[in-house]
Amino acid sequence: MATLNEKKTCSERMENFRRFVWNPETKLFMGRTLINWVWISLYYLAFYVVMTGLFALSIYSLMRTVNPYEPDYQDQLKSPGVTLRPDVYGDRGLQIYYNTSENKTWERLVTTLQTFLTAYTPAAQHLNVNCTGDKYFIQDTFDGPNNTKLSCKFTSDMLQNCSGIADPTFGFPEGKPCFIIKMNRIIKFYPGNGTAPRVDCTYVGDESRPLEVDYYPVNGTFNLHYFPYYGKKAQPTYSNPLVAVKFLNITRNVELKIVCKIIGAGITFDNVHDPYEGKVEFKLKIEN
Amino acid sequence: KTETGDEEEKYKDLKGNKKKKSEDLKKELDLVSVAKLLFHLGLSSSRAAEILARDGPNSLTPPKATPEIVKFLKQMVGGFSILLWIGAVFSWISFGIQFAQGAESPFDNLYLGVVLALVVILTGIFAYYQEAKSTNIMASFSKMIPQQALVIRDAEKKELPAEQLVVGDIVEIKGGDRIPADIRLISAQGCKVDNSSLTGESEPQSRSCDFTHENPLETKNIAFYSTTCVEGTATGIVINTGDRTVIGRIASLASGVGNEKTPIAIEIEHFVYLVAGVAISIGVLFFIISVSMRYKILDSIIFLIGIIVANVPEGLLATVTVSLSLTAKRMAKKNCLVKNLEAVETLGSTSIICSDKTGTLTQNRMTVAHLWFDNQIYSADTSEDQTTQPFDQSSPSWTALSKIVTLCNRAEFRPGQENLPIMKRVVVGDASETALLKFAEVILGDVMSIRAQNKKVAEIPFNSTNKFQLSIHETDDPNDKRFLLVMKGAPERILERCSTIMINGKEEPLDSEKAEAFQTAYMELGGMGERVLGFCHLYLPENEFPDTYPFDTDSMNFPTSNLCFVGLLSMIDPPRSTVPDAVSKCRSAGIKVIMVTGDHPITAKAIAKSVGIISATSETVEDIAKRLNIPVEQVNRREATAAVVNGMELKDMSLQQLDDILCNHSEIVFARTSPQQKLIIVEGCQRQGAVVAVTGDGVNDSPALKKADIGIAMGIAGSDAAKNAADMVLLDDNFASIVTGVEEGRLIFDNLKKTIAYTLTKNIAELCPFLIYIIASIPMPIGTITILFIDLGTDIIPSVALAYEKAESDIMNRRPRNKKKDRLVNEQLAVYSYLQIGIIQSVGAFVTYFTVYAEQGFLPSTLLGVRVDWENNAINDFEDSYGQEWTKYQRMYLQWTGYTAFFVSITIQQVADLIIRKTRRNSIFQQGLFRNKVIWVGIFSQIGIALILSYVLMAYWFVAVPFAILIWVYDEVRKLFIRRYPGKLQERNFLISRPNDSRRTATPDANPCSLLFFYRHSSLALSQTIQSWSDKHICPVSEGSLIHGCHWLEEKPKKPGGNK
Repeated sequence: MATLNEKKTCSERMENFRRFVWNPETKLFMGRTLINWVWISLYYLAFYVVMTGLFALSIYSLMRTVNPYEPDYQDQLKSPGVTLRPDVYGDRGLQIYYNTSENKTWERLVTTLQTFLTAYTPAAQHLNVNCTGDKYFIQDTFDGPNNTKLSCKFTSDMLQNCSGIADPTFGFPEGKPCFIIKMNRIIKFYPGNGTAPRVDCTYVGDESRPLEVDYYPVNGTFNLHYFPYYGKKAQPTYSNPLVAVKFLNITRNVELKIVCKIIGAGITFDNVHDPYEGKVEFKLKIEN
Repeated sequence: KTETGDEEEKYKDLKGNKKKKSEDLKKELDLVSVAKLLFHLGLSSSRAAEILARDGPNSLTPPKATPEIVKFLKQMVGGFSILLWIGAVFSWISFGIQFAQGAESPFDNLYLGVVLALVVILTGIFAYYQEAKSTNIMASFSKMIPQQALVIRDAEKKELPAEQLVVGDIVEIKGGDRIPADIRLISAQGCKVDNSSLTGESEPQSRSCDFTHENPLETKNIAFYSTTCVEGTATGIVINTGDRTVIGRIASLASGVGNEKTPIAIEIEHFVYLVAGVAISIGVLFFIISVSMRYKILDSIIFLIGIIVANVPEGLLATVTVSLSLTAKRMAKKNCLVKNLEAVETLGSTSIICSDKTGTLTQNRMTVAHLWFDNQIYSADTSEDQTTQPFDQSSPSWTALSKIVTLCNRAEFRPGQENLPIMKRVVVGDASETALLKFAEVILGDVMSIRAQNKKVAEIPFNSTNKFQLSIHETDDPNDKRFLLVMKGAPERILERCSTIMINGKEEPLDSEKAEAFQTAYMELGGMGERVLGFCHLYLPENEFPDTYPFDTDSMNFPTSNLCFVGLLSMIDPPRSTVPDAVSKCRSAGIKVIMVTGDHPITAKAIAKSVGIISATSETVEDIAKRLNIPVEQVNRREATAAVVNGMELKDMSLQQLDDILCNHSEIVFARTSPQQKLIIVEGCQRQGAVVAVTGDGVNDSPALKKADIGIAMGIAGSDAAKNAADMVLLDDNFASIVTGVEEGRLIFDNLKKTIAYTLTKNIAELCPFLIYIIASIPMPIGTITILFIDLGTDIIPSVALAYEKAESDIMNRRPRNKKKDRLVNEQLAVYSYLQIGIIQSVGAFVTYFTVYAEQGFLPSTLLGVRVDWENNAINDFEDSYGQEWTKYQRMYLQWTGYTAFFVSITIQQVADLIIRKTRRNSIFQQGLFRNKVIWVGIFSQIGIALILSYVLMAYWFVAVPFAILIWVYDEVRKLFIRRYPGKLQERNFLISRPNDSRRTATPDANPCSLLFFYRHSSLALSQTIQSWSDKHICPVSEGSLIHGCHWLEEKPKKPGGNK
């Protein structure tokens, strides 16, 4: 086949490019006339304005259609996650290491707990009601102020020895630290199927080995009257119930792997992909 | 040297033997006669085998073939691969860094890198496989036609593959053969060789056994390997084989010349540059942006990888290859065997076809075209598959004429073909008689039984002195004992022997008025380029010629004058019935068809007229002269649109005169041309910037075939040399197949455009997520691997399906593509895909994305700027808009759902994209949704693959549907505007359209030459030609040039900026 392309020298290319940018004979700037460029810009401007409008319209109608109280789908949140306070993450998850003789190493942890519990002072909870029944606190109507639903009070004193009131150091310097377990909120989630779910902490992999733990409130249960959660809009002052665990006989200078599970119907902790679903695992090492 | 020694030894041996045997006959033996005897014996097979073992086969060592591994590696780094490799390497680097830092999930990047590498390797393997397959096709093609040589071995003539020739072999060559080795001629009869491949002389050189020059290249007694013997025969002794031949020595030099790129290869390269440019510039730009936005370098690198992967259409090059090979297969089914995949498209851009006449435009067999009896001309059906003849057969004159046609004919059908159609049967006899036999068989039925009933008693065959053929028969009427004398021959000779003429079955005296009528008819038929025969008969009176009369053909003891003239039949090699249609298609496709034939000008012109190469209304200079009754010289040549150029005239023409003819006449026939002149014509066409297709069958067409942009060899009549030189082989030798090829070529170019537009569109929808992710810090909308699922999963089959798209109705109504201006991927296509449809798609996909997140609990306002926390492993109680709390894994799971929804919505919108890409101008309703079934296979596969790959709530499938509909409506509106206001919108470039439509929409560039041309001629092919031409050459803007149309064709060195 005969040749179809000709080689151009560099200077020719440059010259061609210069002509492309501005061709004085045809008055073409980058291949078209200036007025043409204006038209094009206007067209694209209009096009993008319309597209932005369409996008805005779509988002607006989306916002109009979604339920303001609860999401349309909850298929992704079947079982609540569990978190631990204090939460110090290392490369492979929660790692809580400290040295009883070095104040600095545990003061940070203590501060975390104190900060965390400021949301549970009576002052912070004053809008919530006292609940006594050990049943689900089901509210079909909006009984609260401003068309909301009521939330149950959870104050830090319910954590007794781990409330930070009697012992502001949460037992850290003695090597008997308190940890706070929190279960994630899920709207209209009824944990335990009528029985209050409870926290159970063990050594990882060796469940027979006894781990001496004190649970606060007693038995480490989440009282059922904190459930179900009706969402931020319905329960603006809702706060998660907590369970504090106080480890009593932690072997010093050894890294221990501890898992705290929440036992209750509807709460799964066997998702291999998610280390924080229904349970929280952490490493604890207390030195002195 | 040793070889001659051997020969002498052998010769001595033989001489010795001879001497013993013929001692007493001759004392001394004539050396030459011994040599001659030796030549009859040739080498012995065993000796030849020895020499073959020593010298190796007689073939040129192929140019150092690229090792397979290098070819493979080239595929691995060619095109987009290098970009993806960069992506893979970056992934591994970031994996390495993360791993060293002990990050939580470094393996994601490792896997991404592996996947990218796999993609490159797999597409590389695919491309390598495709290339190997097409190379194999070519290899098998060249094996199909191994060169044979006629060799004398063991005193026997043998056909051997030329490869097995050895020094000392005696070979015989004849016209049409390729010389199988360097040979010293020992006898030659009118032998001429074409040394053009060796010396560049296009004139055939005569060869004899005389030693005429010291220089082996000059002496007449050596013929060289790979040259061709044009005519005559010769015998020679092989003196060099394989790489030791003259051409072998040159070949090592010539192998350095690489193949020129085909137009489509150039286009694809252009496309790769364009896309790679976009990918790299956006990638680098956002790398800089993300670094300056204080993203970590490592993260920025990962974004860069995502942007590259999103921008590179990974599956596209494979799709293009598949589309081209599908077209090649389709063309092969329609009898166009394409030797080079990319030549498929070259044919589509053809602007001039130089076609042979015999066999290509015509059926290559004589057929009765007209009859004249009862003072009237009747036309006969000349189509290939005639079964009846439509003309009026009621006249008794016809009965008489048919009897003569049947009886006065020596041709016979070969036995055993009763089941074949008449036109396909093989006949023993010359061309005219065959034509008459078939003609009679079609009308009368079994001719042989009619002949049997009318027993032949005497016959004088045709000879050039008599110019007639005569036979005497008994009649088939048992009551009629007369003999019937029938005669046919040159009409004027037949008329001389007649005294009466049959009109409506009655014999009437042949007066001058009737003779005049005969003359007029004869002239008319002759003027149509037809071969005319006259027919007459005489019933011999029973009393003079009784049953037993001894007819003697030598003494002619029977009357041969005062016969009764019955009628005329004229024959022609008729055009193939598909050709006129094909020519008119070419014409409307802006392709100029030039006939180049060795035939007589009158016949050539007649065929040209009947197939439409010369249209009914146009006139040649001679026609005008005849009409106006003025000498040819006084005719204004510009008025004639057609031209019939005789080879003799062409010989004396300067190049400029030839250009003048090619440029000023839209309908040209070259008659009585030699093959060498064909080359000159092709070069002339190319000088005008045309893409020239040449058909040829002869050995000597091969230079023209090679010279052409696309050489087309005839599969049946074509010689090996022609097939080798050609890019394409027409398996049925039919011109109409070329038009099919052109159509396919144009179609594939259009369809590739569609495929590319389809593929490029979603790149924006894949790219935008990264850009928005970086800028707005939202959770990642789509993952890199998900992008690969689209590019290599759902999109592959639909983009191949576009190759099956039928032509939009105007495909053959537009000018050939201007190879400089009509790019495969032009600005309009890219801009429309990227900035319009792509944007709609992105908006649709993002709406889906936000819908998914909102319905799961994250309203759009929550998502903005959330990235850092979202991706933080240490936050396992991430709060959504409703107050629910999410662990990291739960968020990631949601993010993957988001990927899937994004993927699904791109897929849904790609369905709309696929439907709009079916056409580029026509409404989808004009094109029909169901004509291309493969598109539906594409759509279903797309959705099916998406279903298999993903599981999301069914509702998310429908979020993007309104946007899919919007894409379709928007494009329909665009197409409507393009159809309503052609040119205007295209000018403004808002909307892509056919650049080729400038024929309808605009005059050519304001270039005086092309304007001049545009206004003077409707031949659009050339006006396009001139545009591209004027790009290269400065066109003098003087009045002179306006008057003398083609003067600007003289090449002038370009001075930069010297246009005034």
